[in-house]
Parts: sequence; C-alpha cells; structure tokens
Amino acid sequence: MTSLLVAEWRRTVIDLVRYPLETVSMTVVMFAVFAGMFFGAHYLTAAPFGGVNLAGVVIGYTVWTLVMSAAGFMGSSIQNEAQNGTLEQVMLAPWLTVQIFLVRSLMDVVEMLIPILAVLAGLVLLSGAQLHWRPLALLPAMMTVVTAWGIGLMMAALALLFKRMSQMQMMLQFALLFVIMVPVAAMQGVVGAVLGLLAPLTVQVSVLHATLSVAVPGISANLWWEAAADMALWFGAGYWLLRAADTLARRRGIVGHY
Amino acid sequence: MLMANGLVKRFRTRTGLTTAVDNITMSVAAGEVLAFLGPNGAGKTTTIKMVAGLIRPDRGQVVVHNMDVTGRPALAAARLGAVLEGSRNLYWRLTCLENLIYWGTLRRLSPSEARSRAVELLRLVDLEQCQHNTVQTLSRGMQQKLALCQALMHQPKLVLLDEPTLGLDLVSAQVIKAMVRRLAGDGVAILLTTHQMDVAQQLADRLAIIRSGKLMLTGKTAEVLARYSRPVWRIAVSHPLPADRLAAVRDLGWSIEQPTPADLLVTPPADDPTVIYRLLDVLRPQPIRLVQRHQADLAEVFRQVMAEGEALL
Repeated sequence: MTSLLVAEWRRTVIDLVRYPLETVSMTVVMFAVFAGMFFGAHYLTAAPFGGVNLAGVVIGYTVWTLVMSAAGFMGSSIQNEAQNGTLEQVMLAPWLTVQIFLVRSLMDVVEMLIPILAVLAGLVLLSGAQLHWRPLALLPAMMTVVTAWGIGLMMAALALLFKRMSQMQMMLQFALLFVIMVPVAAMQGVVGAVLGLLAPLTVQVSVLHATLSVAVPGISANLWWEAAADMALWFGAGYWLLRAADTLARRRGIVGHY
Repeated sequence: MLMANGLVKRFRTRTGLTTAVDNITMSVAAGEVLAFLGPNGAGKTTTIKMVAGLIRPDRGQVVVHNMDVTGRPALAAARLGAVLEGSRNLYWRLTCLENLIYWGTLRRLSPSEARSRAVELLRLVDLEQCQHNTVQTLSRGMQQKLALCQALMHQPKLVLLDEPTLGLDLVSAQVIKAMVRRLAGDGVAILLTTHQMDVAQQLADRLAIIRSGKLMLTGKTAEVLARYSRPVWRIAVSHPLPADRLAAVRDLGWSIEQPTPADLLVTPPADDPTVIYRLLDVLRPQPIRLVQRHQADLAEVFRQVMAEGEALL
C-alpha cells in the first residue's frame, strides 16, 4: 500500500507545482471564503474576532468542502480517466480499483486540506482571532468524511459502469445539502434512529455540531454509536458496490469505454 | 509463460448475443514473439484484454507464469505489461520521467528503483533528451516508445502489445521493433497484434490468425510461410523471350504465365528444386535479371486464410 500512496502523493505534488496558476487560484478562492467568514462575522455582529460560532462556521465549511470532495472526486476521476483513455492502464495496476481510487481521493482531501489550513493560520494571525474548538471535533469530522467516501465509492461505481455522469455529480451537491439539513439529533424515537442510520452524514454532522457547541454539554454514547454504524454502513456499501461494479465492468468489457 | 485455454467471450448487443471470441487456445513461451493477426473486429483486442484481466472471459482460463489469473486482475497485472491500442497509456501533464516513475511506483517499485529503471529505459529508446518534456509535447512515435517503456517498468515476463507500430514513422517503428527483439532475447514472452504484416513477419516466431472470433491458423512463422509458398519460379529477363524459347519451355512440361513480356511465372511439372537448371539451359543465352522461387509473405498467407475462412463460414 505504501507504494500506491507514494505514487499518488508524488503525482498530486507534481500537479500542484506544475500548474501553479490552478494552485494559486484555489488558494485565493479559499482565502476569499474564509476571509469573508472572519470579517463578515465581525462586521455583522460587531463582536470581536473569533468566538465559538466562528469556529463552528469555519470548521463546518471546511468539513463541507471535504465532504463534497470525498463524495464527488472518485466518480469524476474515473470519468476523466475514461475520457482521456488512461483508465484501462490504471486498472492494469496490481491493486484493486477501489484501493487506487480511495487513495487518490485521500490525496485530493490532503491537497485541499493543506491550503485550507495555511489560509486559516494566516487569517488567525492577521485578524488576531482565536478559534475555540474542541479537538474531539476531529473525530466526527473524520467520520463525516469517511461516510462521504462511502457515497463517493457509490458514485465511482456508477461512473465505472456509465462513465458520463457530470449532471448527477451536480445533483449530488443538492442531495447532500438536503440530508445534512435533516435534524436527526432532535428527532426522537424510532423515526430518528432509523433516519440517522439510513441517511448518510446527518448523524455525523449532528455529532460534529454538538462537539463544536459549548451549549451542548455532552453527547450521548448512542449518538456516537449511531454515527459509527452509519459510517460503517455507507462506507461498506460503497466499497462493496465499487468492487461489484469493477467485476461487472470487466465482465461486460466496458472498462475503457467512454 | 502464457497459456490461454478455450477463451470464450460473448457480448450482449441490441441484436442479441454476439460471440467476440470463440474457444481460443494459444500459448506464448518465454523469449517467443507470437503475432496475433486478424481483420478489424476479429476479436484480437478482446483476447488481449482477457489475458490482461481487463475483460473477464465467459469461459476458459488464462495462466501467466504458472499462475491461474482468470478473474483475478490484480494478479494478472503484477505479471504482465501492456501497451493498449487506442489508449493513451500515459498522463499528458507529466513528463516522460515522471510518467515512468509514477507507473513504476504504482507497480510496487520504490521511487529510487523506478527512477533508475526509467532512466535506463529512456536511454534504450533514445528518449533521454526528452525526459523532462511533458508527454503532450512529444510526437506520436515518441509517445508510443514511452508507452512501451511504461509497460516494461516492472520488468514483466509477459508483454502484450496491441498495434505497437500503428501510425509510426519508419525510424520510430524500427526502435520499437528493436525493443521487441531485445525483449524476446532477454526471455520475455510477447503477444503482439498488428495489421502491418511486414512487422509481424519480421518479429514473430509464431503466428495465430483469428477471424470472427475463431482461430483459423497457428504455427511457426517459417513453417507457415513455407506451407503457403507455391512451387512457382519467377524469371525476369532483359528482353521479351522469342516464341521458340517459350515453346521450348512448354515442351519441358512447364506451365507459363507472363504478367509482362519480360517476366515469367513458370510452374515445373514436379516440385523438385533442381529442375530449374533444365529451364536455364533452355533459356541460354538470354540475359536473365532474376531467378526466384515463390516465397509466400505474410500478407499473402493472411489473404488466403481469410478467403478460406470466408468459404468455411
């Protein structure tokens, strides 16, 4: 697995350095977004920089960005590889297709996280703001991204079989936004539990929200278990679907089709 | 090195099930080049992709280096390298060196191993000067040479080459052919498809000709060519032969065809290599430019096999 990680990391770095305009543009956009959050919050509330809500907004946006990447990257990567004619060669590597595209998606998340953290650090220094957040929030943040990978694997499975699915990728954004807005934590009883388990991301987002909020003193163990089970369910289903799509694509002889 | 047994592949189309590959059995030994020939749509690429693990056969078995890799694409991939036709095989935004290091590392080489192997291969195909150029700036011939290097990064014992010289200029094609010969000399088994019969004839130790998914002919190149060669002699003379000489040749029992007045295609009554002396005696003292026994080339063999297949179907 190390050689796969090394290969993909090197390719990611080369791409970042080779096309500096793309890298700079991405960083500028992130800077604009985060500066908007920092200074906008300050302007609107006339409060001093920083504070709990700002941390919530910043981390929430960061996680949302990573979720969108994790959910959409693998599908679009397969589509691009097929379009460029390199997909068959990638699938001739001595790795499972699911491993290759998961590692690529991980690299994409890292590629996005590095400039985000750099921009955040810069803005904190510039504004003197302090982001108050609990390190515990990292756990639901990671669970959220892993769950999004489950969705990403499903999209990758569809991309492997149908290739052209850019419209579906766009719809995915709205679908994810919709499921994240479902207030699962506030729902009681069987409906809340079933929805929490079946709807992706909602329960992880609820836990993340709770860990970022000082108003919520503690998070029930049940909610943590629910988040973990939901994550395992979606990631497992995505993993299985991409493996199945891989087998089906090879059986139908459509790996390289576009 | 490669053993493919009874490969069958059917595809579902709008008109029903189409058999793309029908019970193909073939083998390629270490150090051997097998030219896998056939018209467009015959099933060559499907077969190659089944060997590579990109297409799963409906029936049959693929054994590479004593390992059954049927339905186990990762196992197959570790044991072979492939240059696929119609596929770019490379990342256009990376340089030659970066591409080779990437593909080598992806095939479990360490970055340092991949770098030294890449440099060695680039030197072999005369691309050293371009190692820092991105692939999109290379000519078609250079890209194809680089694609071959990419397939060889992990030193596979079996190499699949789908149309490796298609669209290449003479010099680039020569480099690819030299590489193929070198690989075979190093003990690598090579399965090659091409529509360029001269390339196949120059490179292949053995031939397999496929038509409509069925194997029509297989054998050693020299034996196949000999089998399809006819006991016909071509005699080219400086001036058209006078009628009495032609009559004398016919008196020997030879049949004569004359594509041009100074060109004779003569068939002796018996396939005996020494009979030509009797003919030369009759022609003396006519100046002779060429005496050549018919030797079938692969294009001729291919045409005949296709025609025989047409008759069978």
